[in-house]
Amino acid sequence: MIADTIKAPAGSVIKPAPRARRRSAASRISAVLLILTAVVMLAPFIWTALSVTKPTDVAFANPPILTGYTPTLKAFQDLWETTYFAQYLINTLVVAVLSTIVALVLGIPAAYALSRFPGYVSAILLLLALVFRSLPRFSVVLPMYEISKSLGIYDTTFALAAALVAINQPFSIWLLRNFFAEIPKELDEAAMIDGCTRWGTLRRVMIPLMRPGIFTAGIFVFLFAFQEYLTALVLTDTSSKTVPVFITTQLGQTLPMLQQAGAAAMLLTLPVIAISFVAQKYLVAGLSDGSVKG
Amino acid sequence: MRRREFALLMGPSLLVMLGLLVVPLVRTIQWSFQKVEYGSPGDFIGLSNYSQALSDPRLGRAVLFTLLLTVIVTATILVLGYLIATGMNGLGKLRPYILGAMLVAYVLPNIVGAVSFSWLFDQNFGGAVNYVIQALTGQNILWFTETWPNRIMVMAHTVWHLLPFSMLMILAGLQGVPKELREAAIIDGASGRKTHFYVIIPTIRGILGFVCLITIMDVLRTFDNLIPLSPQADAIGNESIMLYVFDTAFRDGSAQLGLGSAINVLAILLILVCLFPFIRGLLKEAKAKA
Repeated sequence: MIADTIKAPAGSVIKPAPRARRRSAASRISAVLLILTAVVMLAPFIWTALSVTKPTDVAFANPPILTGYTPTLKAFQDLWETTYFAQYLINTLVVAVLSTIVALVLGIPAAYALSRFPGYVSAILLLLALVFRSLPRFSVVLPMYEISKSLGIYDTTFALAAALVAINQPFSIWLLRNFFAEIPKELDEAAMIDGCTRWGTLRRVMIPLMRPGIFTAGIFVFLFAFQEYLTALVLTDTSSKTVPVFITTQLGQTLPMLQQAGAAAMLLTLPVIAISFVAQKYLVAGLSDGSVKG
Repeated sequence: MRRREFALLMGPSLLVMLGLLVVPLVRTIQWSFQKVEYGSPGDFIGLSNYSQALSDPRLGRAVLFTLLLTVIVTATILVLGYLIATGMNGLGKLRPYILGAMLVAYVLPNIVGAVSFSWLFDQNFGGAVNYVIQALTGQNILWFTETWPNRIMVMAHTVWHLLPFSMLMILAGLQGVPKELREAAIIDGASGRKTHFYVIIPTIRGILGFVCLITIMDVLRTFDNLIPLSPQADAIGNESIMLYVFDTAFRDGSAQLGLGSAINVLAILLILVCLFPFIRGLLKEAKAKA
């Protein structure tokens, strides 16, 4: 178990089926069905990509026009030139990166401490993590709105990042704890006999071993921050607005603005597609090792 | 591990959660008993926010709609997730590509996916789905202004957004089912269907329960996707509880913070009731380990 975690923590979860297997008609049909499902799942993006690369006068025509127009990137150009998109994108990234780093710096020691405690502590932690994850966001975000206003940090990326660190902290600790729990305690003892302090053990022995687990937790926290709409809607106004909030403010306005919203959505989609292809094995590892076994 | 070490390692994280989760939550509970506006201290008014919330038919509609959405979406996701994961499990070289393509819907901000989704259905914007349905049946469905078509669209979007995650979890679970178990079932003469119902599903029921729990929690909180998908949510009875809270406590012109907080507290109670079976299971486990 431990060897697996250290050497092949991520990719080991999903192994391709043996190639030598005979391809029956049934498995061909199921492959075709799955490809179709994947296409249906991607359909909204394909459609959006088409709409934002059409000239505005045909982009939203009914019935839809699929041929006979010259594709254009004007919506992207307008997005860049007439809105503060670049600023919103920077805000989104700053909030996501900042909250991921802080969440890990706070979460790693806490998760380590919890993993070295008896089983019932972790069951109760899991329970609290679930309850806090399921809380209606508004019940913590509306008071945060008032608190941030009275502290004068309303509409700053700092306040939004701090809120997201706290909101995602139970989940991060719980995921990280499950990765730590896979590392045998004997390793800590050996390190401490060799003269490491508790802190040294964490820094020199545990964190290097935990790299894949930390990476998985980092991806999750980053994604959560990057996706967040509700918290950003309440805690930001103009100067630290994030892209998801910006996109909704463009809706119900003029057609060119709508097209710009679509262009913004595409610009946000492309890196995320890259993330989902690169990170899929880590996400799976995080889900199966981290959340279920714990 | 010594107490002091535990406190030092755990302390910073605990402080942040205490300050930024517990304190705001306590504030919400306080507000729910007050007549209050942003930035000013409130007056205690007892339970009248609660009686006002409970006598508003809008709350009842929002609760019913949210529960309906939760039940249908969760059931659909479990069935579809299992079927797709089973197909995926038998797939060879294609798997990483199809998985990656499906995951896009999950990793994207919910609101961005919802905007893209709404364009497929919006007649004013030349939606492809409308066009196909109209070409096939001659009917023009009003996806945004009629209750049931709008519900179906919102449900479809919610399933679309949450399915990849559930499918991944179930897939990871299926890969943990020992090969010997399947082989034994086949040797004993079980049909494919029976193998699924009597061998595989019972083996991964822990994961199925977890998927169920996560899905219920996420759908009960539905908010983001209704902004683009159901602009007239209240008028056509498709308002979620969270959207109702937002409208009451935050949207311009109505900052009934006390009332909104009371609805929040009621929503927390509802969520705890829905999660009760899972919570009890976890507590039992905790006691067994103690």
